[in-house]
Amino acid sequence: MASSETAIEQPSFSEKIEPYISFLGPMAMILAIILFMGVAEPARYFRVSNMTQILLDAALYMPMAMAMTFVITQRGIDLSIGSVAALSSIIMAFLIKQYGFPAWSAALIALCLGALMGLINGLVITKFKVPDLIGTLAMDLVYRGFALVIAKGLVLARFPDLITEIGRGQSLVFLPTPVVIGLITLAIGYFMLKSTHFGRYTISIGSNPEASEMTGIAVDRHRVYAYVLMGTMAALAGIMLTGKLNAIQATSAPYFNLHVIAAVVVGGTSLFGGRASIVGSLAGVLLLSMMINALVTLRIEFFWQSVASGVVIILSVALYTWLQKKDRDGSGGLAAALSNPDNRKLLKMTVWIMGALIVLSIISLILGGPANPSG
Amino acid sequence: MASQKPIIAMRGIVKRFGGVVALDNVDLDAYPGEVLAIVGDNGAGKSTLIKVLTGVYQPTEGSIKLDDKPFQMASHSDAIENGIDAVYQNLAIADHLTPAENLFLGAELTKSVAGFTALDNRRMKEEATRVLKDRLGVQLKSMDVATESLSGGQRQAVAIARAVRHDDLRVLVMDEPTAALGPQETARTLELIKVLKAQGLAIIVISHSLDDVFEVSDRIHVQRRGQCAGVVKTSETTNEEVLGMIVGTKTAA
Repeated sequence: MASSETAIEQPSFSEKIEPYISFLGPMAMILAIILFMGVAEPARYFRVSNMTQILLDAALYMPMAMAMTFVITQRGIDLSIGSVAALSSIIMAFLIKQYGFPAWSAALIALCLGALMGLINGLVITKFKVPDLIGTLAMDLVYRGFALVIAKGLVLARFPDLITEIGRGQSLVFLPTPVVIGLITLAIGYFMLKSTHFGRYTISIGSNPEASEMTGIAVDRHRVYAYVLMGTMAALAGIMLTGKLNAIQATSAPYFNLHVIAAVVVGGTSLFGGRASIVGSLAGVLLLSMMINALVTLRIEFFWQSVASGVVIILSVALYTWLQKKDRDGSGGLAAALSNPDNRKLLKMTVWIMGALIVLSIISLILGGPANPSG
Repeated sequence: MASQKPIIAMRGIVKRFGGVVALDNVDLDAYPGEVLAIVGDNGAGKSTLIKVLTGVYQPTEGSIKLDDKPFQMASHSDAIENGIDAVYQNLAIADHLTPAENLFLGAELTKSVAGFTALDNRRMKEEATRVLKDRLGVQLKSMDVATESLSGGQRQAVAIARAVRHDDLRVLVMDEPTAALGPQETARTLELIKVLKAQGLAIIVISHSLDDVFEVSDRIHVQRRGQCAGVVKTSETTNEEVLGMIVGTKTAA
């Protein structure tokens, strides 16, 4: 029998660390934050109470990051999770406060509602062939609208102990209850990814949808599964948020989607599909919580968090894309980039836009009258 | 070869798509331990022919016999169950999965863990290593890397291994197995084809490369405009003659 591959080489160093890069990346950034805060604000940042706070903040996003890892790995995206969380927990709150449902059954109903909303998302995407981005963005409006219709402007507050235990309980001594819940969901996610058909097909669908279809995998059914998981985990996050604040309103959880997507992408799960890392998603969630907590500790205005999250998404996607590019043939930096006529035209356009802004500002300052504040 | 009976015998196959006749009265025989090449211009009906053979399409007219018995396939899985499988040009490989995961994609081995059904990754890896080594003589430097990090020839081996994983595979159809490969990888893939032929498989190769066809095949089936322009023995023909049959300036002797 002809042996076509006789040489058995040892895998090189870069191949050895490749599986862990998704974890090492965020870990390096976490280390950077720790070092920076160690210099800037060690006393307030490294207090035990602050560390617990970081973990509590992170816990809220762990279940969603787990589910979003599956969705993104399948080349999908879910922008509706904030509204799913809000709507399912608003309904839970009404069931408890107005109809006297026991907390446990109301919470389970909320999880089922989340699963149902995820199912609707999945069906909209696979059956009506609405692209993920548009489909979940539109469903986001629908779910948020329902939450507003049901709750009006009400803030529902003061929930039974079970709910607050889920959101901020300490009865497990070593770790806050929500952190334990979050870590358990991540562990289940890890197992599902490695050792179930759903996990295996999630990667194959994201890696090569046509090949998966040809292999006989029910591509659409497994995509729906991912959205159902996502909806359920978003509802769980809604319950955790309700318990954490001991209050819920229709406008709660506005930025869940971008925060969770940022955490997952920072953790090395590829937006182009096929590359998943649950451990990376955990690292991503921790990184974002540490970063936002650092901004708060440094007394930087809340609205900068939005800027920071956006920048982190762009940087990590760009970084991973660059790392995965196999043919980095040393394109020669700025000079080489400028010798490309397309880049020169883009530069010219940039100069024009900046110039127009400056000229318009100068003209306005010269011609403008005294300022007339609207407030 | 002539003394043996064909595994598959297709007779008078016609396939119409609406008014378009993609296959017009085509015969095809596949013998064990033989490589049959199918050549022809684009649109000559090569792909349609193998899709009928692998159960993806159902013929409009004509009959297929498996081991001399009438045989009908309702789907591709019918073909696989009866020992007929195909390796497609675009390789049907998920780049981010390991070779073993690709080998068993869609047919994973499972085990029971505390009442749950879980994938048996260890056994799949062992089996995959065995299939690659024993059936194809291929040993990868690592079974734990993503398939995307393998060379084109190794990826081809993984795709082929997926088909030959079934011990009862008897007919293997390969669509353009060397199309995307460099010269060295092409040589290795042709080597794989010879290895499988020696194991008694009937192999049907679609190719545009006449060099590869002459290197590896025993018979050449030429398709032209939906019809069979002739079947010739590779040892008794020349490159020019086959080319002439493809473009229609020559007919089979």
